[in-house]
Amino acid sequence: MTRLPQGAEAALDPVRQALRRDAETAAARSEADARQQAADLLGRAQAEADDIHRTAQREGAEAARADAAASSARARRQARRTVLAEQEHLRSLLAAQVQEQVREVRRDPRYPQILRRLTAEADRILGPMASVTESHKGGVTGTAGSRRLDLSLPTLADQALEDHSGEVRRLWHDG
Amino acid sequence: MANSHRAQVGHSDVRELRGPLLVLGDTEGVGWDEFATVDVEGGPQRHGLVLEVDGDETTLQVLEGTEGMALGGVEVRFQGRPLAVPVGPGWLGRVCNGRGEPLDGGPPVTAEDTSPVGGWPLNPVYREPPQDPVITGVSVVDALTTLVRGQKLPIFSIPGLPHLTLATQIAAQATASSGRAFRVVFAAMGMTHADIAYIRDRLEERSAAGELVLLLNAADDPVIERILTPRIALTIAESLAYDYGSDVLVVMSDMTSYAEAVREVSAARREIPARRGYPGYLYSDLAELYERCGRVRGREGSVTVVPVLTMPAGDITHPVPDLTGYITEGQVVLDGDIDARGIYPPVDVLSSLSRLMRSGAGRGRTREDHLDVAAQILSAMARARSAAELAELVGAAALSETDKAYIEFRTVVEKELLNQGRDELRTLEQTLDLAWQALSLLPRRELTMLSAEFLDRYLP
Repeated sequence: MTRLPQGAEAALDPVRQALRRDAETAAARSEADARQQAADLLGRAQAEADDIHRTAQREGAEAARADAAASSARARRQARRTVLAEQEHLRSLLAAQVQEQVREVRRDPRYPQILRRLTAEADRILGPMASVTESHKGGVTGTAGSRRLDLSLPTLADQALEDHSGEVRRLWHDG
Repeated sequence: MANSHRAQVGHSDVRELRGPLLVLGDTEGVGWDEFATVDVEGGPQRHGLVLEVDGDETTLQVLEGTEGMALGGVEVRFQGRPLAVPVGPGWLGRVCNGRGEPLDGGPPVTAEDTSPVGGWPLNPVYREPPQDPVITGVSVVDALTTLVRGQKLPIFSIPGLPHLTLATQIAAQATASSGRAFRVVFAAMGMTHADIAYIRDRLEERSAAGELVLLLNAADDPVIERILTPRIALTIAESLAYDYGSDVLVVMSDMTSYAEAVREVSAARREIPARRGYPGYLYSDLAELYERCGRVRGREGSVTVVPVLTMPAGDITHPVPDLTGYITEGQVVLDGDIDARGIYPPVDVLSSLSRLMRSGAGRGRTREDHLDVAAQILSAMARARSAAELAELVGAAALSETDKAYIEFRTVVEKELLNQGRDELRTLEQTLDLAWQALSLLPRRELTMLSAEFLDRYLP
């Protein structure tokens, strides 16, 4: 191993210092670059995170609004369905009561007279060749060829209910 | 009383069953167009309309079809009058099938008054011309093809385009500025169950508010029933408009399905077919429906009709759009290319027109600048189309600055003014502001249809 001549150490000192300075400057630059890059990266990440956060917040709010709208629509529909079902229940209850009352007509002292009037009506509608018989449900039925007339009490009651269907609404509407 | 007893005479001499037709013998005193109930042994009751009376033979069209019926075991009762439906506000908030029977679990709709579904012919001199706008909240319609109270304005579409979405959006959002109650009757014909679910969901709010009547004929419901659906819808609308003073919008979708039902009955009656097998009277049949819209002297309300029709293969010469075009006052045309560019609603503004727009827009109706803005936009869109065609030939780089501005204008009109959310409601102010923003892209010298006063006041 050769040694440097005496005095060379001192002569090389400025070179060493220059090299050291350069290295230090390069290191400082690298460090600054790295810091800058890190700061940029962090900034971008933060911006991206903020963006994601905002989007998520907006989407969440929209989804929540849509959910709320859908659930309130569901609730309204359910409420409406309940009201309508109740109305239908009242209507069928009335129809059942009317049919029940009609059965009582057969025990009414005026029933034979009703039968006579219904028979006359059947004869009038179907003509003289008609055969008119009492129905087991009360009232009469008549036939003439391919034509059949149903004047049985349940049918007449149904007919009357239908003719006055506008009044049935008063069960759930005032006036 | 005589009528109600007539209704109890059952006729069972069925002589022929042919498609939707039933020929009945041994009948007398039956009138044309009379309504009848058909009891089928072991099945639910069906309904019929008298089409023809010849001696003691009566031909009925059975609304539910004659499938599963045999010559024996059928009893027909005539009602002694044409089909009538109860009328009045009892329909509001209800969901019914194409014959007006409830689908919502409620009782049948009833009222003190009934009206025949065929409607009464209106003395022409009692008609008032349509006036004042119906604001739909859809920019392209409000700005460029304004719907007018009492007008009939169809939507022409092609299968696969979002015409149902647009019709439903209009039904959900439309209002009139008159201050009268605004009501909507939606008649859906030949819809899939998915479409019906969509309509019900989308119109839920209006239905719950008691402003909407929904009549739904599904694709798998009896075809012949569709002949009644628009008639029932219009009968309800007429009563709400003229007896109760509301402005009523009737949306009928899809009229092509309706016309197919008319064709089916015509074919079963062995009538001589006209174009594409549709009967020769299709024009008067459609006119009978569309002409029931309007305003009546001395009455408050109005009936506005928006029929939707799909043109098979986009053929505007198809009998249904063709004959509809003769009767209606303009059209809103949807276009597949615009739809492919992702624009909703995909309205081709250069093919669309509201002939009565002048009666519904402008000073004192919408905004003073509305008609001029609409004219300027349409004119600029036409110029943009020529510029785009030129660009295809010579390349965009060779275009003049003005032509480039027109192409940019068209892009902005499509993206900002025409394009809108499917549940986005835009006020007329918002719509006209967007229109002005698009117009600001053009050099001021090009805006020749707008007065200097409007330009100073509105140009951003």
